[in-house]
Amino acid sequence: MTAVLEVSNIKKSFGGIKAVDGVSFDVREGEILGLIGPNGCGKSTLFNCILGQLTPTDGEVKVDGKVVTGLRPSELNRLGVSRTFQLLQVFPKLSVRENLILAGQEHQGNMMSRLFGPSDAGLSAAADQMIGFFKLDHLATEAAGGLSYGQQKLLDAAMAFMGGPRLVLLDEPAGGVNLTMLGDLKERLAAINREKRATFVVIEHNMEFVMSLCTRVMVMAEGKLLAMGTPAEVRANPAVIEAYLGH
Amino acid sequence: MSATAKYWRIALGVAVIAALIIAPMNFNRYGLYILSQWAVMTIAAMGLNLTLGYAGQVSLAQGAFVGIGAYAAAIMTTQGMPLIAALGVAVVMCFAIGWILGYPALRVQHHYLAFVTLAFSTLAFLVFRNEDWLTKGIYGISNIPRPNVLGFATNRPLPFYYFCLGSLGIVSLAMWWLIRSPWGRAFVALRENPVRALSLGIDTRRYTLMAFAIGSALGGVAGTLYAPLTQYIDPVPFNLSLSLDLLMMVIVGGSGFFFGPFLGAMIAVLLPEWLRFTEGYYLMLYAVAVMLLLIYSPTGILGILDRYLSERRTKAASALRAVAKSRLETAP
Repeated sequence: MTAVLEVSNIKKSFGGIKAVDGVSFDVREGEILGLIGPNGCGKSTLFNCILGQLTPTDGEVKVDGKVVTGLRPSELNRLGVSRTFQLLQVFPKLSVRENLILAGQEHQGNMMSRLFGPSDAGLSAAADQMIGFFKLDHLATEAAGGLSYGQQKLLDAAMAFMGGPRLVLLDEPAGGVNLTMLGDLKERLAAINREKRATFVVIEHNMEFVMSLCTRVMVMAEGKLLAMGTPAEVRANPAVIEAYLGH
Repeated sequence: MSATAKYWRIALGVAVIAALIIAPMNFNRYGLYILSQWAVMTIAAMGLNLTLGYAGQVSLAQGAFVGIGAYAAAIMTTQGMPLIAALGVAVVMCFAIGWILGYPALRVQHHYLAFVTLAFSTLAFLVFRNEDWLTKGIYGISNIPRPNVLGFATNRPLPFYYFCLGSLGIVSLAMWWLIRSPWGRAFVALRENPVRALSLGIDTRRYTLMAFAIGSALGGVAGTLYAPLTQYIDPVPFNLSLSLDLLMMVIVGGSGFFFGPFLGAMIAVLLPEWLRFTEGYYLMLYAVAVMLLLIYSPTGILGILDRYLSERRTKAASALRAVAKSRLETAP
């Protein structure tokens, strides 16, 4: 299996604090990699370094074998790398459908066709399909800001898929989502992974969610990689139990 | 939106346009001058509404762009060149300068950005005043001719008003198209959440510069109409207070609403005239009215309407939900 994402020796310091301290790993095509670890261990910082939101102090990131370190987030997104944020990030004044069209429009045509072409950039059908897929049908024309927290979280995830990404980094997709919706979300993510061959990296604190969804799990502690393996291996690892899972 | 609401909207639009065409036929010279000024200022305010209202970038330089357009028109048409050529020059110049003025917005935001654009505004004013060889300095440029449009002379006030109204119509249609296009959506994304926009592949840098450039170009369009309207220009009307006036028009009308600039310009241009009967008090009353409005509705006049409509929608939606719920509960 080929690696979609190769991260080698990423370091990021803020002043004297080493938030990420030399992390290396590969993400294989089609897998769902879980990323767990205590709060403040550098998971989100690592995501931000991979995605160009932060410039790493040292290290290299490759997507499909191509070095992407230093690219802007928008450029990375157009190469097929998408993400969600830990905190909810939908556009509250736009409708659900508009949010989804916005999320995909920069992948259609060029600046000129986006100005003179159709107002939906040809994405209405794709947006409606995504709305159906995430079971938001009755809410298509509602302003996103009026949705419940869980529904906004689903929309937030759906937006990450509109550009047809090869690789999606999800930062705590299950945070604050109730149990029923959590099941929906997990099932949707697994389906996209299966059908579209999309590769995921998921940061999550909900162990049940991680262990049942992910094919491999990596554990971070204090900016370093602590362990990597199948869910079962990680769960049995004494160092992981000590640092994160607890007895 | 229901079908009846849609028809009401269309009917209202047609009525307003008809009134703008028919009513001024009986106006005197001064009335037509004020109404033409409203059309011109609406164009400039629409430009600022794009930069500020939709894309969220503060600018205190829109008055300077009106000045650049006005001087381009005054200098070129007094040399015998047609107004359409001046329009082309003004649009290209303002677009280019607006683009460059957008670069600071990639580094600074809000008050800091306001100060950068304020500095530019002052700079432009100094050029208008001090570069005598080009602008005739404080003496100004007089005898600015009015254009022939499609073979019709617009020397008289009524034809010139129609010329301004027609220009406003064309600019409005272009703006309507722009706002509804994916660009318009990207501008809103820029205002609401630039970090998320960036992660969705939106090149926020390019869209920020575009918002400045297009907004500034519309200031230039307004300027090329302003010069033949007054037929005499000097530097004074294009100082900082014009930029502040335009900013007020956008905010009072409703920043980020399509029709905000129309209302805002109406209040800024017409209200002082209507309040003239109060003699010495009219500026004070005007200032108090604006303050009260912004305390009551920080999102401007259209903000009040928007709030009312969305409350009604929420009520209707929760009523529907209640009905659906009671049906579920009573179902066997």
